Parts: sequence; C-alpha cells; structure tokens
Amino acid sequence: MNDVIAGAVCMGSLLIALFFLRFWRDSRDRFFLYFALSFFIEGLHRLYSALHDAGGEDSPLHYLIRLLAYGLILWAILEKNLPRERDRK
Amino acid sequence: MAVTIYILCILTSLACTWLLFGSYRRTRYRLLFWSGACFAVMTLNNLFLLLDKIVFPSIDFLPARLISALVATLLLLYGLIYEKE
Repeated sequence: MNDVIAGAVCMGSLLIALFFLRFWRDSRDRFFLYFALSFFIEGLHRLYSALHDAGGEDSPLHYLIRLLAYGLILWAILEKNLPRERDRK
Repeated sequence: MAVTIYILCILTSLACTWLLFGSYRRTRYRLLFWSGACFAVMTLNNLFLLLDKIVFPSIDFLPARLISALVATLLLLYGLIYEKE
C-alpha cells in the first residue's frame, strides 16, 4: 500500500510540474518555471526513495534534495515580491 | 546533522506556506491559495518526518507521511485543474 501511495505522490508531483511548465510557456513568467522545477525535483526524489527503500529514506542527506526544492519556491516568491516592476499575468 | 536537516525542511516549508498565503492575501490570485494549502500540508508532512526519525523512532510514521504528502499533492492538483476551467 505504501508503494501505491508513494507512486501516486510521485505522479502527482510530476503532473503539477507539467502544469506549471505550461503556465510558464504561456506567460513567460519565471515564477512558474521555478515552481515547475521544484515539483519536478520533488517528484524524482519521491521516485528515487520509493525505489530504494519504499519511501523510508535511510539517509537524512536525501532531504537536502527536498530543501533544494523548497528553496526554489522561496526564491520564486521572493523574486516576485522584491522587485515590483512586473505585473502578474 | 540529521536533526538540522529535518528542522530546516520544516522551517523552509513553513516559510513557503507563510509567503504563499501572504501573496494570496495581497493579490487574491487563487492559485497562490492552493499552493499555500499544499505547502501547509507539506509542513505537516515534514513534521511527521521529524517525529518518525527523531522523536518517536519506535513508531512507524511512514503511512502518515505518505498520506499527508498525497493530500498536499492533491490539494495543489485540484487547484491547478479547477483554475484552468
């Protein structure tokens, strides 16, 4: 059952990445590109950890990957909010 | 080392939640609300991770962690699909 849920989370994350990729293509707003990249990393991380130890992730170092994904989101929001010259589409 | 990484995971996801809801309050852009909701549950997911690995190593939190990750993903997916209509 754990594997099924891990697979669903992985596919969901990759699907979200594709949605954001399309938003980026339509709007050319880098904000969406960072989101797409973040969820792509998250999805691959889920896949990797599910393949190796059923989502249990032995090493805490795995989670540096997750920190990178969150960092991209933080950067996307900060970049959007700090220079206020561009309008959101 | 491990504790630092787990706590950083909680703090960064909490910061994402905070900033996303803050942006939503300012812009009323609905997708930001769903992204914020996603990261709120993701923060819970990272909290479960800390409880699982450090606080209660004898209790298996894996189902709770996986289900919370799934809920977080579904929240944002719902938002993305709903907003496209």
